[in-house]
Amino acid sequence: MNQVDLVDFIDWSGVECLNQNSAHSIANALKQGYREDDGLNVESDADEQLLVYIPFLQVVKLHSLAVKGPEEEGPKTVKLYSNREHMGFSNVNDFPPSDTVEFSAENIQAGKPVVLKYVKFQNVRSVTIFIEDNQSGGDVTKVQKIAFFGTTVETTDMKGLKKIEDH
Amino acid sequence: MVLEATMICIDNSEWMRNGDYTPSRFQAQADAVNLICGAKTQSNPENTVGILTMAGKGVRVLTTPTTDLGKLLACMHGLEMGGEMNIASAIQIAQLALKHRQNKNQRQRIIVFAGSPIKYDKKMLESIGKKLKKSSVSLDIVDFGEEDEGKPEKLEALLTAVNNNDSSHIVHIPPGPNALSDVLISTPVFTGDGEGGSGFVAAGPVAVSDFDFGVDPNIDPELALALRVSMEEERARQEAAAKRAAEEGSSQNKGDEQSSKSQDTTMADTTGATAATDAAEPMSEVDALLQQAIALSMQTPASDSAVRDTDMSEANNEDQDLAAALQMSMQEGEKDSSGQMDMSEVLEDQAFVSSVLASLPGVDPNDPSVKDLLASLHGKSESADQKKDEEKAPKDDEK
Repeated sequence: MNQVDLVDFIDWSGVECLNQNSAHSIANALKQGYREDDGLNVESDADEQLLVYIPFLQVVKLHSLAVKGPEEEGPKTVKLYSNREHMGFSNVNDFPPSDTVEFSAENIQAGKPVVLKYVKFQNVRSVTIFIEDNQSGGDVTKVQKIAFFGTTVETTDMKGLKKIEDH
Repeated sequence: MVLEATMICIDNSEWMRNGDYTPSRFQAQADAVNLICGAKTQSNPENTVGILTMAGKGVRVLTTPTTDLGKLLACMHGLEMGGEMNIASAIQIAQLALKHRQNKNQRQRIIVFAGSPIKYDKKMLESIGKKLKKSSVSLDIVDFGEEDEGKPEKLEALLTAVNNNDSSHIVHIPPGPNALSDVLISTPVFTGDGEGGSGFVAAGPVAVSDFDFGVDPNIDPELALALRVSMEEERARQEAAAKRAAEEGSSQNKGDEQSSKSQDTTMADTTGATAATDAAEPMSEVDALLQQAIALSMQTPASDSAVRDTDMSEANNEDQDLAAALQMSMQEGEKDSSGQMDMSEVLEDQAFVSSVLASLPGVDPNDPSVKDLLASLHGKSESADQKKDEEKAPKDDEK
């Protein structure tokens, strides 16, 4: 099973990020080209937490997650919630996350993909990423890159359907 | 036309009985709230507004965010004053009410009417502000009524904690002859983030909205876009034409009245365009340049002074290069005096000159210094005419 980079399946019109600094927005970490540039990152604003909501264009299965950040301000605890819309910081603790990843300083600098609990992410329409704290414990969290790898679920390609010819 | 859900927090504490705003603080506040409800629901039909009271027995939500203006106006009736305002819980409850709004695409806004003293300290308010900022809620604060020491600073601190990209505002309204709502109408609380609530007038709902080209971008986005693009193209074309004319004028001999007149109009348009892009100019700069123009015209033969004056006053403060180009073209134009005589007629027309001056930003035609300059310009044009009449008279005599 080939895991592909799911960046092409992100529904950009619905992507939201709470508590981001408007000069350093989530596009810097998600979009192709921007995320490869280590100088462009998404930064948190009022405090060190970030809440990112990513809807997909079709149903996908998530296999692994790659997060890259600087050694000090990069994320430490990252919780993922599958298929929960419009979460806020207040209700983020109301339900258990689908998976939690703790990054060490070397992992976050390397940005290598981390395998997720595949069984929890079989039928994903949207994913919410809650970055709870960062490596150094400072007030600002910086993320250079966020990438998901996985596969799409077989869905009907409407263009392939042919009309039944009238006799 | 931003899609927004708003919660209005009303102060109905004992301090609102005071009559320093007509007829009473509470009534003035109620009028302002009614106007805001109307403005919000009018600017976008999907906007919702909710109301809660901050004092009384406790913070009470009168209506959750709704589009129904009638319901909002109705719940403003029969409100009683009493107790103390609890701003911290009120803002938090407002935030909760917004969180449970039906349309999650709406932006979140809280408007607080702070008329009584605030018993919370700055730290508490700042932490509330931070929470609002984290959840991307904007906050508008109307500071009126009781003037407590420390109240404006506390509210300013709250605003800085919440403010994200100038989406939150604070307005301080001291007691005075003007009604609270009248003062509010001109503030960003009403007009939103610079979009202009100019479509809404206190007198009542107005049918025509004040959009750029008289076309509502929401109703007909393609038409609005086409109009905007064609306007920008026209402006770019005019600027290009003006630049070309300035270059041609300095290299060729431009005595032709029509071409110099058209040059003037394109210059006026260019200066209008450049003026539009500049901030308001101080009066002294305009005066200095006009004086310079007059001085230059003093040095040249009378028949040309009129032309120089018109052009100098039109080539206004912003563009020194433009002024230099005009100077050069005028020097070339000296040689042909026939065209210039018609210019003096143009200058004589006071209405034309004052309309040209009036169209220049930063120049007030009623200002005494401008009036003096106008008078001196006319004095010169009259003397120029007198000289021409004298020249004509001898010629007639010769015949």
